[in-house]
Amino acid sequence: MKSRKLSMLLAAAIALTAAGCGSSDSSGSSGAGNAPTASSSSSGAAAGAEAPVSITVNCMPPKTNAAQRKTFEEDIAAFQKQYPYITISKATDAFPCYEPRTFEAKLAGGELETVFYVNFPNVGRLMADGQAADITPYTSELKTFADYNSSLDLFKKDGKVYGLPTDGYGMGLVYNKEVFTKAGLDPNTPPKTWAEVQAAAKKIAGLGAGYVGFGEYSGNNVGGWHFSASIYGRGGSVITDDGTKAAFNTPEGKAVLENLKQMRWADNSMGSRLYIDWPALMKAMGAGKMGMMLGAPDVLISLRNDFGGKFENYAITAQPEAKALFNGGAGYMINPKSTPEQIKAGLKWIEFEFLTPGKGQLDYVRAKNADLTVGQPYPDLYGADTPSGQAVVELRKANANIDAAQFAGWVEGSKGIPSKAEPGPYAQEIYKILDTPMSAVLTRQDANIDQLLADAETKVNSLLASKG
Amino acid sequence: MSNITITPGRSAGTPPTPAGKHQRGRTPRRPRKPMTSQFRTAVSPHQLNTTRGRIIYWIVLVVVVVSFTAAFVFPLYWMITGAMKSSEELNAIPPTFLPEHLSFDGYLEAWDLLGLGTLLGNTVLYAGGAWLLTLAIDVTAAYALSKLRPVLGKVVLALMLATLMIPPMVIMLPAYLTVKDLPIFGWNLLNTPWAIWLPAAANGFNIFLLKRFFDSIPKELLEAAEIDGASPVRILWSVVMPISRPILGVVSILTVVNVWRDFVWPLLVLPDSEKMSISIGIASLSSQMPQNVLIASLVIASIPTIVVFFIFQRSIMAGLTAGSLKG
Amino acid sequence: MTTASTPVAGRKQRQPTKLRRSVKRNLTAYGFLCGALICFAFFSWYPMVWEVILSFQQTNFVDPAVWVGFENFRTVFNDPVFAPAWINTAMFTLLALLCGYAIPFVIAIVLNELRHARAYLRFIVYLPVMLPPAVGVLLFQWFYDPDYGLFNQILGIFSLPGLQWLNSTSTALISLVIVSTWSNLGSGTLIYLAALQTIPSELYEAAELDGAGLFKRIRHVTIPQTKLILLVMLMLQIVATMQVFIEPYLLTGGGPEDATVSVVYLMYQYAFNFGNLNAGNALGLMLMIVLMVFSAIYLRLSRDNTV
Repeated sequence: MKSRKLSMLLAAAIALTAAGCGSSDSSGSSGAGNAPTASSSSSGAAAGAEAPVSITVNCMPPKTNAAQRKTFEEDIAAFQKQYPYITISKATDAFPCYEPRTFEAKLAGGELETVFYVNFPNVGRLMADGQAADITPYTSELKTFADYNSSLDLFKKDGKVYGLPTDGYGMGLVYNKEVFTKAGLDPNTPPKTWAEVQAAAKKIAGLGAGYVGFGEYSGNNVGGWHFSASIYGRGGSVITDDGTKAAFNTPEGKAVLENLKQMRWADNSMGSRLYIDWPALMKAMGAGKMGMMLGAPDVLISLRNDFGGKFENYAITAQPEAKALFNGGAGYMINPKSTPEQIKAGLKWIEFEFLTPGKGQLDYVRAKNADLTVGQPYPDLYGADTPSGQAVVELRKANANIDAAQFAGWVEGSKGIPSKAEPGPYAQEIYKILDTPMSAVLTRQDANIDQLLADAETKVNSLLASKG
Repeated sequence: MSNITITPGRSAGTPPTPAGKHQRGRTPRRPRKPMTSQFRTAVSPHQLNTTRGRIIYWIVLVVVVVSFTAAFVFPLYWMITGAMKSSEELNAIPPTFLPEHLSFDGYLEAWDLLGLGTLLGNTVLYAGGAWLLTLAIDVTAAYALSKLRPVLGKVVLALMLATLMIPPMVIMLPAYLTVKDLPIFGWNLLNTPWAIWLPAAANGFNIFLLKRFFDSIPKELLEAAEIDGASPVRILWSVVMPISRPILGVVSILTVVNVWRDFVWPLLVLPDSEKMSISIGIASLSSQMPQNVLIASLVIASIPTIVVFFIFQRSIMAGLTAGSLKG
Repeated sequence: MTTASTPVAGRKQRQPTKLRRSVKRNLTAYGFLCGALICFAFFSWYPMVWEVILSFQQTNFVDPAVWVGFENFRTVFNDPVFAPAWINTAMFTLLALLCGYAIPFVIAIVLNELRHARAYLRFIVYLPVMLPPAVGVLLFQWFYDPDYGLFNQILGIFSLPGLQWLNSTSTALISLVIVSTWSNLGSGTLIYLAALQTIPSELYEAAELDGAGLFKRIRHVTIPQTKLILLVMLMLQIVATMQVFIEPYLLTGGGPEDATVSVVYLMYQYAFNFGNLNAGNALGLMLMIVLMVFSAIYLRLSRDNTV
């Protein structure tokens, strides 16, 4: 009985392989099938914009963020209605939108969506490696293109444009007001200097088991990323202006690590857990027992939408003693394997969903009614005096549903502080190297900061030398 | 223990011969009376049956049972109950041994948010397909090498066995590139089940096991069928397969378990979140999930394994014991 | 025996038929082999050759590949993480052997002596082997949490200070070893158990008559009798543990301070994080050569054992 079943299955399988051997073109081609990669349809270029075209997009909000996911789904439908010849055949919802584990595998396989999300540290690398399509010829069709602020520069290389930022912001200090109150600190006067941060962190950690005064990253490149943000704030640099040498083995770099070391070991105010990837620290912050972390305004929104944080408890103030702000943000690029039609359609989607005031994610009326926050000072894409910039700000103000005070400290405190871009096209590798000193000061009481920085400097120098 | 006693190299693959039957007779069954065993071990049975021996035996038994339960069952208990706790309760110090209230919300949320149904379905598809394809391809190949003995058959066999020297992990990058852009055909197999199925079938160890088993099938049996006019396919099907059930079982189990337990390969070739296997899916979604939902998803991912393993434990353990001696 | 009695007279007549039969047999054989040949060619043989080729090339899969000699090896070798990666891998292997090699053998000996609860014990020891790999690893990630994890809470019950587990350079690697051992203990145990049951009773009886005590019996009967399988398992475990990837990948990201970067993890990073596939290949080739040594010993041993 059992063996008969087995043998029947086997028969089926043998038949299947036989078929596979005989007619080579039958089954396997399903693999190449409906990929977004368009190897098939490039001939129709002359047929004009109305030829049917199919694209894939990513960064659909995850199921955990139901409200925003709903708006996104509505937008996909509305977009396809507005452009009947464009089909969005698939929307992927990895979270975070840049999820290093799957992103890298997809990128290497050329399997990224037609329109894909990219955060600033990866932009330079993708442009250098030819992994993003040149969109320069099509930018003239974008209505708001002229209004972009300097965040667009990041997506330019040799005079060509390779993507569009949809989100830009400077770093700040995110803190939990409730925790501040519990620790006897005034939530309305957050720390303005690192000394004050240290003192506040110590008090918060004193609240008892599980409380962490200040949380910081230390692995998977996010450690190096926050080191860079910190050293920028202190007026330092990660690499020299010509991009050939490391520039962080300086008093500023030492101060960053020294400060962390003090908090971790002298004050014991940073907890003992390492936060080795982006969600780890967010999860901890969202859990409500952490006092402060470095972050941008979008952190507050993500804490609310994705990490179950009580939104009203959080606020952001300016990065302490900041002399320059790490230019954070994200945007979209187009898969280089796309056809011109797909590039055009993809740009239409980016424009529709992220760039048009009053539409898509900038539809603040809908957002207000959909249990989403309106009023946070981002995305900050357009120059303040441009039509698009003004439109966004006005719409945002008119529909604001959050307490502006949560962001006021950051807005006021960051004014006039210049922004500074991430360190060159090899930022990811440099961050990886800088993870080491970060994790060292957070895991070893006897960490030798001079030695750590000197080692990292050697590594970065040889990295940059090898990249030429 | 199963009746397939195994020495490496000469693993499960002896067809039922009189010797095999004899062995079966000697195989330890659960003893009816305590303290006797049908086979002799290091501890002397006489010592064991003294009072002192008995006391020591029971102490050892209790210690072993308790410590093993603590090491292997308690983590599972902690996982199953952890998924029923709220975030606050999970972070309570000291922890609660039983969840405050019986809540399956974590499980429901995990099922829904992670799309565990899809992930499990994918994994079953990958494992099942790999199983069928591997059997079909490797059985035919091993049969050809063993009984039809074509020209250059020895070379082919040697090349296949040579792959045992090289663990798949170290060639994962070129293999990945191959799957991404299959030479000659130019197909991109990424995100398709073929990316799992086809490499799974290229398994030298299966060929080795099967061929050795087929080698031991008496020639007369096949020749008799040949004289009756049976075609090679027919012979393979009606003569060889029925007597090869033990080895087919071993190969089946090996294949399914290998696919089920693989991590790196599906990580590379199935980056699309809708195509992922359960391990990859959970790993890549783990970071955003609240702790109790993550734990619940681990439980759900474990249940099918535990059930299947419970039902087929004898054959699985026997098969893997034979098969884990693999290069 | 029918073939032997073929009449000599018929032979000449059958000569062409015999040739035809031989051709037919070969065709059938290769027909049967074609699936396997295709699979092996594409997914085993070709990648192996390509592995070597890619190691000596620089390629971005757009422009034609350039031969660069040992450049990729130099890149990898000069990487400051290169040495730690090999040292970590070696340490991991060593520690995993200490735990994962000796313990299963001891467990198997003990289990073999027990007359009760055998099925239960075998089942639970083997259960982790069957779990999807991510499950065990992520489960331990939770257990390792320094604040809320099970392990520190248990230590707390005995008023012992909690450990940092994954969060300290000194304990991270051993923490990975513990996960790996927990998940893989079962397979070794079962193999040893099977081997133990093949030891002839007479040997124990003879040893006993010679007055050998329990430990002497284990030393002079059990171990010599299972020596070969112990050696085979040693090679297998070395090969398996040197490929450690999932634990650092999911638990530590190679940190803290590169304390848990393994060779395979570094290889993955080259290929997928740093966009330098060729350097990853070069590293893979180095590992391949090291592992082939152990694989060869293993194959040799298991062949000897067949006799």
